[in-house]
Amino acid sequence: MTTAQSNFDKLIEKIRTRLPIQNPLHSFVHNNILLMFENKDFHEALDEAGVLYRARTYWPIEKYTERYADGKITDDDISLAIDHYLGRYSEIAVLEKFGISAKEFYKSLMFSDLAFNNDEVQPKINDTHLWDSCRGKTENQSLVLTRSSVKWRAKEYWEKYHRENYAVSMQPLVFRLISSYLDQGQSFWSNPFVNKGFWRFFCFDTLAIQNVSSPWQKILADKVTTYESFTPEEVIKAEFAKMKIPEEAWEDFLLSMLFDFKGWAGMVNKLELEPWQAMVKSPEIKLVEYIAALLLVESSLDTFHASANSLDLTLIYGRKETVEMKSFQLSLSLYQITKYFKLDQKWLIDLTFEEALRVVDQMDGLENTHRIRLWHEAYEHHFYREALSAIIQHSEIPQKKEKPYAQVLFCIDDREESIRRHIEEMDSRIQTFGVVGFFGIDMKFASLKNQRLISQCPPVINPGHIVREVSRDQQKGQVFDKFNNLLGTSGLSLYYHSRTLFRGFFSTLLLGVLSLVPMFLQVFFPHQSKSFKKGLKNFLSPEPKTEINIEKGSGDQGYSKEEMSKIVQAILNMCGLSPSFAPVVVMMGHGATSTNNPFKQAYGCGACGGNAGVPNSRAFAKMANDPEVRSEVKKLGIEIPDSTVFVSGFHDTTIDEVNFFDHENLPDSHRESFELLRKNINKACKLNAFERCQRFSSSKAKSSPEEALKHVRERAEDLAQPRPEYGHCTTALSVLGRRDMTKSLFLNRRSFLISYDWEIDPEGIILFQAVIGAIPVCVNINMDYYFSCVDNDNFGCGSKLPLNLTSLIGVMTGSQGDLRIGLARQMVEIHEPIRNMTIIEAPLERVKKTFDSHPRLRNILYNHWSRLVVRDPQTLQWFIYGQNTWVPFEADRYTVKHFHSSMDLINDTHTQEDFAEIDHD
Amino acid sequence: MIENLFIAAIISPFIWSMLLGISFLTHLKPSERFLSSSVNYFSLYMSVITLMLFVLVWHLSPSSTLLDYKDWIVVGEYQFKLRFIVDLLGATYALMSATLISTIFRFSSNYLHKEEGYFRFVFLLSILLFGLMVVSFARSLDLLFVGWELVGTTSVLLISYFYFQVQPVRHAVKAIISYRLCDMGILAASAWTHHYLHSTDFTELPKILGHSHSGNALIFIGLFVIWASLAKGGQLPMSSWLPTAMEGPTPSSAIFYGALSVHLGPFLIMRFYDYLEHFPALLWLVGAIGFVTAIYASLVGRTRSDAKTMLAYATISQVGLIYVEIAHGLTNFALFHIFTHASLRTFQFLRSASLISDFTDNPLVQQNVSINKRLSLEKFFSSNTKKKIFVHALHGFHLDFFTMKFLQFICWPIQIYMKMEDSWMEWDSQFVRKIFRKR
Repeated sequence: MTTAQSNFDKLIEKIRTRLPIQNPLHSFVHNNILLMFENKDFHEALDEAGVLYRARTYWPIEKYTERYADGKITDDDISLAIDHYLGRYSEIAVLEKFGISAKEFYKSLMFSDLAFNNDEVQPKINDTHLWDSCRGKTENQSLVLTRSSVKWRAKEYWEKYHRENYAVSMQPLVFRLISSYLDQGQSFWSNPFVNKGFWRFFCFDTLAIQNVSSPWQKILADKVTTYESFTPEEVIKAEFAKMKIPEEAWEDFLLSMLFDFKGWAGMVNKLELEPWQAMVKSPEIKLVEYIAALLLVESSLDTFHASANSLDLTLIYGRKETVEMKSFQLSLSLYQITKYFKLDQKWLIDLTFEEALRVVDQMDGLENTHRIRLWHEAYEHHFYREALSAIIQHSEIPQKKEKPYAQVLFCIDDREESIRRHIEEMDSRIQTFGVVGFFGIDMKFASLKNQRLISQCPPVINPGHIVREVSRDQQKGQVFDKFNNLLGTSGLSLYYHSRTLFRGFFSTLLLGVLSLVPMFLQVFFPHQSKSFKKGLKNFLSPEPKTEINIEKGSGDQGYSKEEMSKIVQAILNMCGLSPSFAPVVVMMGHGATSTNNPFKQAYGCGACGGNAGVPNSRAFAKMANDPEVRSEVKKLGIEIPDSTVFVSGFHDTTIDEVNFFDHENLPDSHRESFELLRKNINKACKLNAFERCQRFSSSKAKSSPEEALKHVRERAEDLAQPRPEYGHCTTALSVLGRRDMTKSLFLNRRSFLISYDWEIDPEGIILFQAVIGAIPVCVNINMDYYFSCVDNDNFGCGSKLPLNLTSLIGVMTGSQGDLRIGLARQMVEIHEPIRNMTIIEAPLERVKKTFDSHPRLRNILYNHWSRLVVRDPQTLQWFIYGQNTWVPFEADRYTVKHFHSSMDLINDTHTQEDFAEIDHD
Repeated sequence: MIENLFIAAIISPFIWSMLLGISFLTHLKPSERFLSSSVNYFSLYMSVITLMLFVLVWHLSPSSTLLDYKDWIVVGEYQFKLRFIVDLLGATYALMSATLISTIFRFSSNYLHKEEGYFRFVFLLSILLFGLMVVSFARSLDLLFVGWELVGTTSVLLISYFYFQVQPVRHAVKAIISYRLCDMGILAASAWTHHYLHSTDFTELPKILGHSHSGNALIFIGLFVIWASLAKGGQLPMSSWLPTAMEGPTPSSAIFYGALSVHLGPFLIMRFYDYLEHFPALLWLVGAIGFVTAIYASLVGRTRSDAKTMLAYATISQVGLIYVEIAHGLTNFALFHIFTHASLRTFQFLRSASLISDFTDNPLVQQNVSINKRLSLEKFFSSNTKKKIFVHALHGFHLDFFTMKFLQFICWPIQIYMKMEDSWMEWDSQFVRKIFRKR
């Protein structure tokens, strides 16, 4: 019994790893949707996932051929891709016997439109001779190609042959129950079964409604009655036994069943494993309960349809479905092959019938998988080659060194690439760095406005410290708190009571007229209405000046001085700031503003769990300014001069606005440089907005930076705007090294920039920290966009227009349906699905050691979830991780355009390139 | 002055939709930017016109302006005249339609940016505006029917805005069936009216009530009208289509099911109020339907956990209350209620995507949401009764099931016939097969 039990548990565990892993929307973080498939090679994982998700895992082929026509994929790229490909998938070289090399073969395969098993293809009239010989080859053979598979689900049978639609019958029952059960407070009545388990709820419900529902629900009720005292595991086993489905087939059956409605299945799994992800109250739910319910529903529908059609169900479970290729189709395939590979007709003479079968069989498989893979690789290669060529040539240009008066630490985010470039162009005496935006502070944070604890760190870290924002003036703080609570109460009661009957009656009468004004204002004058609202709120209850309380308190409150100094030391080391401190060092957190956007969290700082990075930057600045911490840091080997002051800043990536915090105590000696810095950053913000506006097709503000700034602000405040910003769209690179690698190189907001100085890190410890902190995040973001982009209906959540928020945990399309996963179409529409390429400036051995030392990094590198390129700064050689080894790399040298400034480049309408040199002066 | 404004209000959307239609048929689709700015100006113009009209009518009220135009259709000796009435009710509804639609147009120019169906969306909303103008001012039943149908058609076409998916189309079909069932009410009422009045001018109905020889037969007109209003207003037993109609883009759900289409139900009742007044039984019926629906929808709505369905039930329950108000003779108050309710729901629909941030920003949410939703009703029930009520409310009290049963019941002769036909066909095909075998 125990072994059977553990077998079942193993099965459930296996199933868990396959389900979508998305968080509820309020704590959305970018994840590689196929995180659990990372232990497989990229392409193979995609094939497996494609079957499960019933999704396309690459772009449709037309997209690639379009790019080929535009010259964005060249013949060189194709042959490179094939070379790269041959090393890994060389097992198929079907036609070599007939004088076609594998390379030629693949190339013609890419451009062919072979369609086997398709009756619509007809031989051309002037090819009768060829057609005859093809026909002659196969005509008298009784043998045909067959592929048969055993099918266990009756659902597919009914849907295919009887045009039944299971979803239509199931939806009103299953989705209503599960969404009501998982509800976090959106509905007025909370579900009375919430503490009793989903299975109890399901039983109660099906029994209660059996007399007033469709006939199949009566069958379901009968089943439920027999199983009522069973545990969900027992139910599943018993039901499978009844259906006579062998244990080996359970996994496929259950996976296929769960993936019919993958969103809910994934959410149930998520909330069982990580109940703290629930916004308000984690419901008692287990995946097995959900599976048991779903299985019973499905088998009752099976039974119902079987009796309605008077068919024997046992014949349908485990039926064998065979796809045959008839001899006519076989000759047609041979005909097509001869044509597409421009073979001499004679090859047919040498061909035995068995060989012909094998050739066609393999070609059929190839045609489906390899054609698209090759196109995709060629497409990626084009981008990689351009990027590397620009970066390699750039690395050969000597960089000027100037003594900086200010240093700004940005997040590694690709959206910060452009603003860093603009700042440096504006004033070369400002240095910028890229570090992971939570600045090493793993905290749960409670703001003054909202005492709810929010994790301000990457989701892989379990935050161990609580930090609170407190008002400097206690009395004002209390007043603010009261007012804030009052707003909260009225907000909630208006939400619930405008939807009920009698209270709704009064609130409708009262609010209806009142809501007209904010509606008109928000729709017609979004900007004014927002500032009016802000002004009003500030007038009624001004927000008091606050500070971040980081001091160690009782319990897990705050940090000790020792912990603080470790954090400060680690970050300063990581970005290579330590040798030379400027008088002003800014910690620049980032976040985003948007209105009426359920995906708000997806635009925030990924390293801060999708929240704004302000608290982290404020906390860090406070730590680093603390004299005690500084003396501790000195013991650890970094001397922060007394003349250096840390300031906290915040960059809003949507409205392009930079704010500074806690800079009142800045000494007068620093005031001047700080004001200069602030002026330059504000200017850079405008230019950054202008650069971003080029991507918005609705933007009327392509004329001047001032207009652009106004435009991006309006976008953020507009109730109707589905694209407040384009987020990480087009991200494809991450560069880990000194800023000199990329300084004054235009990267078109496509690259994560991570600072790392190989010279101060002989042991490779900092490299490991930098890589493990950044690369998995980059891959997650990149892959999330990749999948939502290649098949938005199945990996993403489709159009934003009809989305309907449900249970406060997710969205569905329209009035009922599956919970959607991934990103909306409007968020990824300009994305280019390219695997992330990581470029690291460090000695090769150090990089090898780093990537070998962590399982996720191993997976990413060896299974090709990211391309890796290393520049060895000692030998100045470049290496790339090829099929399975490191190979020295010699880049093609495309000419890189030169521009005087980024603005010149943006204004130059002929430039389509992603990369260009910016020469100052 | 009133007449000119009225003509402008009714002709402009007609010409505008015709222009859009022609440009669509001739493949001369305007660019998105041009379309969005022109439609914004157009709807602004409509708002101004209807506002002026409203102010003038308000000034003159309670008297109303009757306008008669040439014969519309002449069949034999029958004449269908274009008859309009410009009164406070119509002017208010027209004003509400124009302003809310202009808000929606403005909203959609960003919301549907880069959307392939944007033109279709604008076109359908323009037709909706025309339809609403006709309904607001029509004085004869067959003219009202035209506007009524335009509203229904555009509504259905926008439910199936994503027509390449299964679910929107299914739900659109559900909506159109409900609409058509109730539209028969208007047709029947107009035939009946015509029988007694030799015209379908419903303002004349009250006049003949006193001295007509057929007073009691006239009650059927009222019944038909009430029946006709049920589908648009989502009242029982025609409630179940409305919550499933939330398949189109959010602004279209907002304008139809939060505001303009759904309130046409009470609007129709109010149009006939002068006549219904004479039949207390009918008013009782209106009140009873409204009351039961309000309770029903509010119970079901309480258990719904998704933003749009929940709003749909909330809307149905308030519309139910509006029915009750009309039944009590509070017509002006009901009109005010319609106006405020439509504005509130439109806003709530448009903002429905903000719910997550509303909740995460709310300082109370982490502590306990349920504090604020304690319901007085819940206290009265034992936990088991509560559970039962919850479960049945969750399934909408099986309205669909009962509707199906009812339809099966009235269709039983057809079913018997179908069975007969099936068996006959079976026999026939066997017979044919036998013959062929012999050959």
